[in-house]
Amino acid sequence: MKLLNRLARLFRRRNIDDDLREEMESHLQMRAELNARSGMTPEDAQREALKQFGNRALIHEDTRRIYISAFWEQLIQDARYAFRSFRRTPGFTLTSICALALGIGSTTAVFSVVDRILFRSLPYPHEDRLVSAGVTAPLDTNEFLLAADLRDWQAADTPFESLGSFVIGGSPGGAGCDLTENSPVRMSCAFVDWTFLPTLGVEPLLGRNFTREEDRPNALRVAILSYSLWQSRFGADPNIVGRAISVDTKPVTVVGVLPAMFEMPTLGQDDILFPQALDPASLAHPQTGPSLRVFGRLKPGISIPQTAAAMEPLFQQSLQWVPAAFRNEVKLRIRSLRDRQIQDARTASWVLFGAVITVLLIACANITNLLIARGATRAREFAMRTALGAGRIRLVRQMLTETLLLSFGGAVAGAILAWCLLYVFATAAPAGVPRLAQATLDGRVLLFTIVISLLSSAVFGLGPAFFIPNGATRSAGIGSAATRLRHILVSVQIAASLILLSAAGLLIQTFWNFQKIPLGMQTENLVIGSMVLGQRYTPTPARLSFFRELEEQLPQIHGMISYAIADSVPLLPGGNPFRLLAGIEVQGRPRFAEGTGGNVSFRSVTEQYFSTLGIPVLHGRSFEPADRTTNPSVVIVSETLARRLFNDEDPLGKQMRWNADDPWRTVVGVVGGVKNNPLLSGPDDPEFYVPRPGGAARRVSVVIRTSASASTMANSIRSAVAAVDPALPVTVETMNAYVRRLSDRPRFTAMLLAFFSSAAVLLAGVGLFGVIAFLVARRTQEIGLRMALGATSGSIVVLVLSHTMRWTLFGIVLGLAGAFFVSRSLQNLLFQVSEHDLPTFAITVVGLGAMAVVAAWIPSRRASRIDPMEALRQD
Amino acid sequence: MPDSLQGTLDLLILKTLQAEPNHGFGIALHIQNVSEGLLRVEEGSLYPALHRLARSKLISASWKVTENGRRARYYRLTPAGHKQLEKAAENWADLSKGVAKILRFA
Repeated sequence: MKLLNRLARLFRRRNIDDDLREEMESHLQMRAELNARSGMTPEDAQREALKQFGNRALIHEDTRRIYISAFWEQLIQDARYAFRSFRRTPGFTLTSICALALGIGSTTAVFSVVDRILFRSLPYPHEDRLVSAGVTAPLDTNEFLLAADLRDWQAADTPFESLGSFVIGGSPGGAGCDLTENSPVRMSCAFVDWTFLPTLGVEPLLGRNFTREEDRPNALRVAILSYSLWQSRFGADPNIVGRAISVDTKPVTVVGVLPAMFEMPTLGQDDILFPQALDPASLAHPQTGPSLRVFGRLKPGISIPQTAAAMEPLFQQSLQWVPAAFRNEVKLRIRSLRDRQIQDARTASWVLFGAVITVLLIACANITNLLIARGATRAREFAMRTALGAGRIRLVRQMLTETLLLSFGGAVAGAILAWCLLYVFATAAPAGVPRLAQATLDGRVLLFTIVISLLSSAVFGLGPAFFIPNGATRSAGIGSAATRLRHILVSVQIAASLILLSAAGLLIQTFWNFQKIPLGMQTENLVIGSMVLGQRYTPTPARLSFFRELEEQLPQIHGMISYAIADSVPLLPGGNPFRLLAGIEVQGRPRFAEGTGGNVSFRSVTEQYFSTLGIPVLHGRSFEPADRTTNPSVVIVSETLARRLFNDEDPLGKQMRWNADDPWRTVVGVVGGVKNNPLLSGPDDPEFYVPRPGGAARRVSVVIRTSASASTMANSIRSAVAAVDPALPVTVETMNAYVRRLSDRPRFTAMLLAFFSSAAVLLAGVGLFGVIAFLVARRTQEIGLRMALGATSGSIVVLVLSHTMRWTLFGIVLGLAGAFFVSRSLQNLLFQVSEHDLPTFAITVVGLGAMAVVAAWIPSRRASRIDPMEALRQD
Repeated sequence: MPDSLQGTLDLLILKTLQAEPNHGFGIALHIQNVSEGLLRVEEGSLYPALHRLARSKLISASWKVTENGRRARYYRLTPAGHKQLEKAAENWADLSKGVAKILRFA
């Protein structure tokens, strides 16, 4: 109540000023009146009154000061006092602010990233009712739904208010999507149904959504542009709606522009939306139509488990179209949109957030320690102030003001640090960390900074305040309870840094393991150009002639050692086609009885593919030009596939096929295994190869082994492709760049944790150093006495070190116990390393022990140099 | 011994207001007249003192119109003010008695 009054008065100041002004004015007038009555002229009376009154502004100021409450006055006094004492002890001030800045800065930076992932609501109205729905199968790590099944879902009475979808992998026909105006550019297109945007609750910024009629086959071609495409390619033209643009050389009418805030529910970046326009006739089982990503808006008040239960009958119904052998491996999955978006980032986010909170707590512990030590050296000052009449509350208040000022300083420095860290995150982070690009220090994050700095000042400020000597102990200085608290704090700091350090160690090993994965090919000096043949190449002869012309261009490239053309290349984004092992037939052998047997990759390649990529041919031969018939009948299998299909028998000459209508193919060679995607595939990655051109797929990758630099080669590849089709966009990258991208995620996590744990160890070391140094200073007399009685300086060093080690060991034991539990939650971030990896823990313990010895070494050296005579003479 | 100068002014103000509510100018005039010109209250001290007393709820203030039809801020004693006046008057009596004795002794 009192505080409210005080606040109210701050706002009422204008009233007080007005009152006062009027009061003084009426005083003057009355005086003037009196003067006039005694015979003065009105002017003289006025002048005399003014003269007598004196300096009005000064009186005003003096009177107003009455209303500045004692509260603010004391606060200002305390703050001024605190500043003076900070200036007297710059070492303390700087250390505390640096520690706090480190803690608050890293917490803020990480919060700004994980906030988007874990806490902040998604940019859709009522996003809590949005789910991603579908089935999971070994083909895909994410849930999907066949178009035919979606039609069934939409027709039935379900817990969904509405359902929307887009086609997986771009267009239903598998065509590319190029903007063919002026300078052609490859775009990323999404084919959505007309309920897609309404389900998400998104209204176009300009224009409108697709109509039901436009989402039918053979309708007029229409499109909705993304905000960024509208800005970058069409100069934010306000009249874009209704205009025709050229996509794959065909006119398309723009009907809308998406808002800037719009994002695809899978967080993909799409430039343009087209209607799916699926033919209803093609969507009757057993014809399934394309695979879709499906998103649903639940009716209000219905939970996800309820929805899953309600969808079970429909799911069972659709299962009957799945071959019996695979049914066990197909599951229904409905999960919140947020879970779909962040995928496996949840664990990493919590780990990082936990790590920075730990760093912050260690920093707070450090400052508590420093403040307690400071409290001891200030015992006399406090005793004096108590003697002069300062109450205990007043002293506590003084301490709290100081800690608040410190944490304010820490928060400002921390915000600057956070800004820098965020910049580093953004540049160092791999692609695919959800929402990292959006992370900024906005109001919400800064509010978080302020709250944590206030909380931390409460944490580190109240402890020392508790140890302000009261009247009874004012001469005694720091008590033994405070000393014990300080030791416990140091032990806890060591324990916490051990936990962080071991987690960092495990993640660094994970990163190394990723780097050491044998990929089965020689990745040096390989340059890859990738392109997708667009709509114009729909007739197969067009693709074949493109292929032929490209093959004439490539041998002319200067600096090329060898080249190959394939429909896909290992490690490239976009993956490669695959079959289920169970779908492959071997002549004279029954089919697999049960299960899918997992995925088998396949690709069509030219003759020099294996030699160019450095994949060894183990048995038999590579492809030969003669294999390039329009009806090829040969196949090459990888070592692991050979073992799976033929066990120990000689695979050469065996016959296999993967479509019942196809002719049998003869195995002519066995090659070494290659990792297509080490992050997804298991330890072996079975694969088979067919000769190109074969089916002449739309995706084309040119692989070149070269002695020239990557950039020259990039230009050569581009001009070779341009010589065939100047309108075709090409992506060129070295194989090693793709290899590096593999370990991007683990590198990033390991790097961050390594940074935070080093910060933790540094802080713990400083804390330990502070405590030991303080202890040595306090025990100067005792040490002097010991030396006078014959202790050598060596034995004094041992004395101090053994004291240090006692508390360090306590911390290490505590930390090991904690790390044992914490590392369990790291499990799914680790790769080929046990979460209880003994060497990691051993190295961590040894490292921390060494840190403790170093931190204690300087104070112990100082102790050993104490001159007994001087020490004993101290007061 | 309380802060005697400030205490004295407070005492004079409270005493003046005991008779009847008055405005700042009236208080200053009253003190000057009753003390037959011996005491003159500076405006620079009067107004801070009035507002301080009002702030500590010993007197209350309200805007009224004077006999001459002028708006003025009138102060009146609160019950707490009455009590404080008694105490302050007593203290003053003691103080002046003590001072007088010392002066006589010298």
